[in-house]
Amino acid sequence: MAAAGRERQMSEAGADAPVGSRLTDTVAAYSTRALAGGTTIAALFVLLVAGAIFPDSIAGTLADVLTSRNTLASALRLSVPIAFAALGGIFAEKSGVINIGLEGLLIISAFTAIYVTDLTGGIWIGFVGGVLASTLLAGLFAIVTIEFRADQIIAGLAVWLIALGLAPFASQVIYNGPNTPTVPTPDAISVPVLAELPFFGALFSASPSVYLLFLSVALSWYVFERTAFGRWIRASGENPKALDTAGVSVRGVRYAAVLLSGVLAGMGGSAFSLDLGQFTGNGPTMVNGKGFIAIVAYLFGNYNPVGAFLSTLLFAGLDAIQTVLQLRGIGIPRQLIRITPFVVVIVVLALVGRTQTPEAAGDHYESGEE
Amino acid sequence: MSAADRARAVLTRLVEASAIERILISTAALVLSILIGTAIVLVAGRMTTCAATDAVYYLGTGFCYDPVVVFDRLFLGALGEPFSGNWSPDGQFAVTLRETTLLVFTGLSVAVAFRAGIFNIGTQGQMVVGAMATAVAVLWASSFVSGALGTVLLIPFGVLVGAVFGGLYGTLPGLLKAYADANEVITTIMLNFIATGVTLYLVSGPFKDPGSAANQTVPLPEFARFPSLLFGSRQDFSLVAFAIGILAIGGLYYVIEHTAFGYDVRTSGIQPEAAEYGGVDAAKTVVASLTLSGALGGVAGAMYVMMILGTFQTGLPSYGFDGITVSILAGNNPLGVGVAALLFGILKSGTTVVQFATDVPPQLVGVLRGLIILFVAMPEFFRLLGRRLSPSGPERNPVATDGGRREGETDE
Repeated sequence: MAAAGRERQMSEAGADAPVGSRLTDTVAAYSTRALAGGTTIAALFVLLVAGAIFPDSIAGTLADVLTSRNTLASALRLSVPIAFAALGGIFAEKSGVINIGLEGLLIISAFTAIYVTDLTGGIWIGFVGGVLASTLLAGLFAIVTIEFRADQIIAGLAVWLIALGLAPFASQVIYNGPNTPTVPTPDAISVPVLAELPFFGALFSASPSVYLLFLSVALSWYVFERTAFGRWIRASGENPKALDTAGVSVRGVRYAAVLLSGVLAGMGGSAFSLDLGQFTGNGPTMVNGKGFIAIVAYLFGNYNPVGAFLSTLLFAGLDAIQTVLQLRGIGIPRQLIRITPFVVVIVVLALVGRTQTPEAAGDHYESGEE
Repeated sequence: MSAADRARAVLTRLVEASAIERILISTAALVLSILIGTAIVLVAGRMTTCAATDAVYYLGTGFCYDPVVVFDRLFLGALGEPFSGNWSPDGQFAVTLRETTLLVFTGLSVAVAFRAGIFNIGTQGQMVVGAMATAVAVLWASSFVSGALGTVLLIPFGVLVGAVFGGLYGTLPGLLKAYADANEVITTIMLNFIATGVTLYLVSGPFKDPGSAANQTVPLPEFARFPSLLFGSRQDFSLVAFAIGILAIGGLYYVIEHTAFGYDVRTSGIQPEAAEYGGVDAAKTVVASLTLSGALGGVAGAMYVMMILGTFQTGLPSYGFDGITVSILAGNNPLGVGVAALLFGILKSGTTVVQFATDVPPQLVGVLRGLIILFVAMPEFFRLLGRRLSPSGPERNPVATDGGRREGETDE
């Protein structure tokens, strides 16, 4: 994103960047998104029709999986960590701090949530513990990038690598293995009547974390669009000097935004591991790239909380489908089906290309007073 | 003064001002990471349980893990007990050099991309692809030759195959970045996952060794592996591979500092706008430097197969991610990569010694890796510290680790 920002800068550095060029950019970005979205919907439609006509073909299997209530349920479940992390990423990046360490925040909170739950016996205490751990790590990231002007990308990578080492390390110390024992999982909350609906019923009979996610998406949208704090965050990322002139501390806003990204990612990580009742720390751990997919999700969602949630649902849906397909078998080897979400991320990124990166994202801002 | 001249002036100033400072910062980062590592070991030692007789006591408090022992084993163990009186190059020291060899290649791979202002996080994936291709290609070719002649022919062939496939896998994110504006941090990370998935499929299906339960290719015959000159074959270390590593350091240093391509790479990394005004083809430079970066990662994979394992197996060690640390620690300088790789080779090799000697989990080194990166990324912290220690110290512009500095914007 720093790179994208740089290229933006280049295109606008020449000859007093006309407002028009920026507008064209926006339109172009929107039309690519619309194109990508439209293609997806059209493909889905064709697939469903084909599936209905030839129920025994691959299309039939796919259509069957797609319309299954279980698919929606697991897509929602898989959305939780990604969408929370994406919301966090939006806050940080909108304020001008690119937080590439979301993956690390997810890992550390996923482990801590299980550890605290195991220690205290309370799922919600564990949840808070996980959020706290993630916020602390985000705080460290904030100090390093805002106070000591560390390169944001490298510091973000460090956050990821620290968590990637620390969580399995702690698990090894405490539980003698990279995986924790299992803890009780929270009960699903069902809305009477609505939960009986054929496909959409999955929306109304889900883990508390799913509802928490709905709430957070709505709240984040509200904060961005309707509150002064939301405007400050945007200004801090687009034009920090103006914000400074207006008497608001850019530093303060950025600290708040990065800490908030820690809280949100922490909610995602905690909910993710608590829903499964265990933390597994082998290899890339159970988080397995979800933090990075979250970044693509909010880029694709154009930094809009609702957009980010919808694109998360797309990626998570793919993940849910591939899991089912691995079990059913459609002639494609399991190991290859497993990589589809990653391939789709690359394709989406290539299609979306240049995003509306906040003008000052990736840059350190020094107030004139110092 | 033309833009190119200006860029050259900026470059010279940056390099001169920063070489010593970078060494100081890297050293300080290392020391600080070890201090924090010590604290982590102590805290972890409180969290686990052990017999009272196994505990060590500091300031009247008992700890299950002794950080002194940990770091003693980590460093002295990795060097093969240099103070024990019967040091032999064929012990753990050979393992250290073996790890160093691989880290030289992954470190150089990351360095060349970072120098061009590209964050190639995909060295791991490029190494996996190179390793897989080498394992399959050399196995196929080994049926045509044998003996010493086979070794002479197959080693360069295997390295070349690794470089080509790793390079192609690096070209992919390069093209995506240059022509579709796709952020390389994300694409390379995704390509790491894809490389793991595809190779897992290949070694569990089409290229699986029917004689083995593990997901691996048929092991290469002995003559298709790096010969263990001088050193015994016990530690899977080859001086030949090490020498190629040294040559690669020198070669890349020459390419970056003294060729037209290197000039394009450096200027693109420091001042992309100036580089373009100066006639550098930005898109071409991106693709070329990522290809070169991938090729070096691929060679690391080839070395892993032909020197260490003798076959391709899923779950390669994380040399690619360690390469990021090595490169950042070295300030992305090829010569520095040599030193940083040795240091990290010691850390990696020492980890196994620590595992034998203590109960401290080996993931500790992973934590140290992250901490080192974090501290090296924040030079300002050490400058503040330095200023506080010597109030008259000169004020300097921070060194950019990020290629994405904007034109006309200063940090002070």
